[in-house]
Amino acid sequence: MSQTASQSNRLTQGGQADRTQTLTFTFNGRSYTGHPGDTLASALLANGVDLVNRSFKYSRPRGIVAAGAEEPNAVVQLGATEATQVPNVRATQQALYDGLVACSTNGWPDAQRDIMRWVGKLGSPFMPPGFYYKTFMAPASMWMTYEKYIRKTAGLGHSPTQPDPDIYDHMHRHCDLLVVGAGPAGLSAALAAARAGARVILADEQETMGGSLLDTRETLDDQPAAQWLKTTLAALAKHDNVTLLPRTTAHGYHDHHFVTLHERRTEHLGDSAPSQAGHRQSRSRLHRVRAGQVILATGAHERPLVYANNDVPGNLLAGAVSTYIRRYGVVPGQKLVLSTSNDHAYRAALDWQEAGREVAAIVDARTAPEGDLVAQAKAAGIRVITGSAVIEAKGAQRVSAARVAAIDVDAFTVTEKVETLECDTIASSGGYSPVIHLASHTGARPVWSDDIIGFVPTTVAGVTATGGAHGVYPLGEVLADGVEAGVNAATALGFDATVNDADLPRVASRHEGPACALFQVPHEKTTLRAPKQFVDLQNDVTAGAIEVATLEGFESIEHVKRYTAMGFGTDQGKLGNINGMAVAARCLGQSIPETGTTVFRPNYTPVTFGAVVGRHCRELFDPKRYTPMQAWHVAQGAEFEDVGQWKRPWYYPRKRTDGGIESMAEAVARECRAVREGVGILDASTLGKIDIQGPDAREFLGRIYTNKWQKLAPGRVRYGLMCGDDGMVMDDGTTSCLAENHFLMTTTTGNAAPVLEWLELWHQTEWPELEVYFNSVTDHWATMTVTGPEARNLLTELTDIDLDREAFKFMDWREGHVAGVPARMFRISFTGELAFEINVQAHYAMHVWEALFARGEAFDLTPYGTETMHVLRAEKGFIIVGQDTDGSVTPEDLGMYWAIGYDKPFPWVGKRALTRSDTRREGRKHLVGLKPKDASVVLEEGAPIVFDPKHAIPMPMAGHVTSSYYSPTLESGFALAVVKGGHQRMGESVYLPMADGRVHEAEIVGTQFVDPKGERQHV
Amino acid sequence: MSNSIHVYDARADHATVNAESPLAYSFQSSGMPAPGEEGRAVVGERAFLGHLILRGGAIVLDEALREVLGIGLPGRPNSLTVDADGQRSVQWLSPDEWLLIVPGDETFGLETRLRAHLGGSHVAIVDVSAGQTLIELTGEAAHEVLMKSTVYDVDPHEFTVGKGVTTIFAKTSVILRRPDESRWELIVRRSFADYVYRWLLDAGEEYGIGVARESRHEPQ
Repeated sequence: MSQTASQSNRLTQGGQADRTQTLTFTFNGRSYTGHPGDTLASALLANGVDLVNRSFKYSRPRGIVAAGAEEPNAVVQLGATEATQVPNVRATQQALYDGLVACSTNGWPDAQRDIMRWVGKLGSPFMPPGFYYKTFMAPASMWMTYEKYIRKTAGLGHSPTQPDPDIYDHMHRHCDLLVVGAGPAGLSAALAAARAGARVILADEQETMGGSLLDTRETLDDQPAAQWLKTTLAALAKHDNVTLLPRTTAHGYHDHHFVTLHERRTEHLGDSAPSQAGHRQSRSRLHRVRAGQVILATGAHERPLVYANNDVPGNLLAGAVSTYIRRYGVVPGQKLVLSTSNDHAYRAALDWQEAGREVAAIVDARTAPEGDLVAQAKAAGIRVITGSAVIEAKGAQRVSAARVAAIDVDAFTVTEKVETLECDTIASSGGYSPVIHLASHTGARPVWSDDIIGFVPTTVAGVTATGGAHGVYPLGEVLADGVEAGVNAATALGFDATVNDADLPRVASRHEGPACALFQVPHEKTTLRAPKQFVDLQNDVTAGAIEVATLEGFESIEHVKRYTAMGFGTDQGKLGNINGMAVAARCLGQSIPETGTTVFRPNYTPVTFGAVVGRHCRELFDPKRYTPMQAWHVAQGAEFEDVGQWKRPWYYPRKRTDGGIESMAEAVARECRAVREGVGILDASTLGKIDIQGPDAREFLGRIYTNKWQKLAPGRVRYGLMCGDDGMVMDDGTTSCLAENHFLMTTTTGNAAPVLEWLELWHQTEWPELEVYFNSVTDHWATMTVTGPEARNLLTELTDIDLDREAFKFMDWREGHVAGVPARMFRISFTGELAFEINVQAHYAMHVWEALFARGEAFDLTPYGTETMHVLRAEKGFIIVGQDTDGSVTPEDLGMYWAIGYDKPFPWVGKRALTRSDTRREGRKHLVGLKPKDASVVLEEGAPIVFDPKHAIPMPMAGHVTSSYYSPTLESGFALAVVKGGHQRMGESVYLPMADGRVHEAEIVGTQFVDPKGERQHV
Repeated sequence: MSNSIHVYDARADHATVNAESPLAYSFQSSGMPAPGEEGRAVVGERAFLGHLILRGGAIVLDEALREVLGIGLPGRPNSLTVDADGQRSVQWLSPDEWLLIVPGDETFGLETRLRAHLGGSHVAIVDVSAGQTLIELTGEAAHEVLMKSTVYDVDPHEFTVGKGVTTIFAKTSVILRRPDESRWELIVRRSFADYVYRWLLDAGEEYGIGVARESRHEPQ
């Protein structure tokens, strides 16, 4: 069998397909050809491919129905390789390119031998609405198992299992006016507003702009519409205040005229984005548009009629038939029956006949159709059967005949004998539904219009629907409506704009007779007994299912939707929603407006996750903040720890004497010993630093910190504790008095920004009378901590600062130079050892750091990371806010009475909260030390603490471990913990029952494990 | 000048001390691609400038600046004033906050003279020179690179010369300004500079972005 089927349905002329070039593509493993200008759908139809999918629930064979975004069946899986797989692509929207590979999404184990076929054949008794809920209800625990197989049989496409080779990006756009849709209404609106000087974005989802102008039979200025389209697009392109975005779908309308557009930039070019002039380009782009005004020129979707077996391949929308013939030069069959409720659809039959194929009949539900198109059809010799409709399609894999009968629309009955017309294609039209999805995203409920037999959007300030989108269909009126919308929007934006009728092209007037409101076509049998009449093809919802839902008591249209799945998923009710509402209305004996509509939700059509993510992935997922010494840390092989967005050296593993690399425990033990016995150095540049200036700086500090600041002299440093107004510890750090009105506050790394905001909040809202300013200098100063008994000996030769213990006491700061660089030096200690913190401008940090190491070789100067810092501070009982506290811990709970200024004249933030009944009650959790009875045990951080390990489960919890490490100095595990009434329980034993059944015993001790008298930091 | 504020010249002698700009690490770790021939997007660092934050009342600060620097505060929010040779600028940041950028070696002298003029007024002057850096973006596609990066409207007709804002840039924030027709300036916190640099190279790749020749010299 030949791998390349011929394009049997391709016309020799007409349409935009470029027949001089041939493209080869593969569908379900078979090779076909098409032409540039084709969509995948038009190329499949050209090749006579009837079956493109199996249906979602009943696994019935399905063919192409529509030519645009509303296509329910031809949803395919795209991609030649695993990495480039894209699920959920509508074949009607996918431009054909050479080498395209696509397959059906539904049908497991494969499309030809579908194990679900029997379900579709046996019919609805096996799968009523709510089938899954009813059948797989029990046992509830098995649902997950059922679901796996149900989903597999349903088939919703699959996501790639390999990394995507393409990139996607975002672009932020601003405009005065966003026009969605570049059909006749959108084009005229955009041009009118652009001429007035407005900044306009015109987005259109199709491969080519033009909308209905691309396949209309009408003329503009006595020329084919394509000519006017060309001129108008050229005029728009000339305006530099206009941005044209083809292949761009407005998929979500958010608050305040913020609209997201998805531009498919290279999906018409190949499987993966080709590079452009040697540069990588994004496959698709999400435009985040903030518009002053929005015009929705989204047109209308044709409604199919609901008749029996209307899902057999060969059943198409009338408008789609015209589109395929006129735009793509493809006739999707040999012999047509058209079933319609309106004049406009007649063009499908005319186009069909002009393409040289046979029209069996036009079946019109109206008893006396009268418009110009009707007359044209009759004049062309086409048989017109009035007062009738196609009530049933015959055929299995393709339509073989149409059963036609006279019907009474109002009585919903078949009135006369049925005639069977042989044909392979049935086109139907039940009228048009304005595309109101975007307008609905705003939350505004659409309203029913009897005039146009459809829902139209309600008014939202700044949003205007124009043309088909609000039910204006005749071309001349659409163009005028668009101009008016454009002018009104421009005027509302403050531009000087007027309607100039001379700008409008001439449209030959055409008389159209009134349409009739036909949705579901009656059948000789009742809806529940007739062959399936599909309302929502994508979700396999039938008229019968909706009737069953109403019989079972689902009366709200929202409930009917959820019970039947009508309008779910990627379809969002484009094709079937109005028909479904009409069926529900009929069953409930009420009108359509009484029944109401469901809500259309974003996204209008699926948006690939890549476009949602944009470039915020992998290396650019989140900022990485580096200190000025980063290159050095990397060169030393440091392991890094994330502290907020900062990368901090965690520990520096070295080579062991046996050639291996130190474990973290080994590295940390070595680093700890170096600090306790020699000298270590820490990059502390990430600490938050806030410069505070002003005559009231000191007063402000006294109000924001729990402790006293009145007597801190220039040259001195003090530890400060900060509480929230709930009295809970929120930050701590040291603050230095640089001069009488000048302080330098430090904060924890993670709280640098929140503390600055906290200070500003209190200053701006509560104490604006205080003369003080706060400025972040975190990034300006690099900080290095040199600590250990040898620290002074190391630094002496590098600095002009007098390091004498009497001249430069603990908690003093001095200024001078280190390694030739101006520096401030602070004698503060977070390790309990002799320590000097050096601040230099970050530009010179590396210079000073390297100078310290050059000199430090003689002292075996050891860099240490955050893990060693944690061990050393915990040995001293120094807390880490956020680790030993969790927002429920007061300074009193920490036992830090020395840092609480109870008698300060002004009530500092959090003071009052410390007198609440809850903060004063007995049995609050207190911070204590824990010494495991077994010294080799390192307790688990977070482990729960109980007083009585023999208590029946659930045991009353008495607290938990907050910090726990192995101390190389103590040669024992040790921990900090919060324990109920802990300060009164010194020496008592507590128990830690672990998940593995072991129970650890530990003794409650003070928090200072090393040098409790604090002598070492004073040396 | 009162000694109630610790005014401190922490700038080292660049002749004897090896200074590293905030982008030094990024140039080393992410590379410095040469700009495409058309120069549609060119990025560069203007390192080691003096950055001073001024806080206080507009009237006193404006007077002092005119006296000491020859240019005053910008008259409106979200704007900046640039001196005749383009080397010194003052930008509005918030109702009582301005950013002053001058050649690096002028920083301390300027602060001292400003303080002398301001006398006992309640103001704050803070040197943040090493805490941020100035990244320059030029080329016809510069604003498109910015459109991919910031939510702010950077249409050259809207974001006119003399405008300056603090805004979101990808997942961080920057000060963004347009001192003249040909240049955009981004003022970036030091610790975020690497992220901004990598983001710019990525966003500008399709325009053949590269690093300006001056920046591609070894750091001073």
